[in-house]
Amino acid sequence: MSAAGSEEKVALDLLIVDDSPVTRKMVRRAVSLCGLEIGNVHEAGNGEEALALLKQNRVDLVLADINMPVMNGMELVERMSQDTDLAKIPVVIVATPMSEQRVERLLDIGARAYLAKPFRPEALRDLVLEILGDRGSAHA
Amino acid sequence: MLEPTPELLADVLGTVLQDSAFIFAEPVEEAPEWTPPIYSAELAFESVRGGVLRLTTPPRGAVEVAANMLGIDPADPEAESQSRSALAEVLNVVGGAFVTRFFGTKVPSQLGLPHTEVLDAMPERRRTCVATLQLESGDPVMIELDLEPAAGPA
Repeated sequence: MSAAGSEEKVALDLLIVDDSPVTRKMVRRAVSLCGLEIGNVHEAGNGEEALALLKQNRVDLVLADINMPVMNGMELVERMSQDTDLAKIPVVIVATPMSEQRVERLLDIGARAYLAKPFRPEALRDLVLEILGDRGSAHA
Repeated sequence: MLEPTPELLADVLGTVLQDSAFIFAEPVEEAPEWTPPIYSAELAFESVRGGVLRLTTPPRGAVEVAANMLGIDPADPEAESQSRSALAEVLNVVGGAFVTRFFGTKVPSQLGLPHTEVLDAMPERRRTCVATLQLESGDPVMIELDLEPAAGPA
């Protein structure tokens, strides 16, 4: 707690998972503009790289694409859901518009939310606050 | 079965360029004259009908797209180094937008992975529909759709 009694700001550590370097940079830019207190931003090019990074680093939230080579976003969500530690980390799917059936499937297997590309930084901020609740508002 | 139109393709691409890269591109009637090298990106999709979407633009057009997506100056070397990746990403978003607008969100659909190539000539390709937009720099970006024929009655 600070001297004023307000909740101490703790920066959010994020992991961006996308096979496109341009998209990773765009998401990183949106993150920097969204008004949240951001700490480390890690990047991975596919689900396999993401799992390796998650085992080595503290991450508060994962922003993952779906269509990726090696291991796609669907498998990443499934693998994280099956891991006791990783299952606690919320995953937001950041992907191109898709069918309702696919979105439902992603939410069923453990993704916390879906954000359609392209998106505005405010949309990301609102989603993070919704998912992290009080934890998220401490970062805003 | 609804058939795709050049207006639909132009609208989908124009909206994606505006929302992803803050580029206001206008549809043009004339087919562009291509001078190599030509950057091309291709994406296959499966839904009620399968097909392929392609984007084609000169290198300078792809650099403009990359620079706008990344919020950097087109003269920044990163804009050139990321230009093909940017074209692929625009096509990826175009693919999702087209499939959900054309076939709807109630039916399953699947996008492939976009891939890019540098062409030294514009090949004759089968296509169902085509539209060309002009970027703010004046460079063209062409979108082509090759849609598989609709299945006949069983």
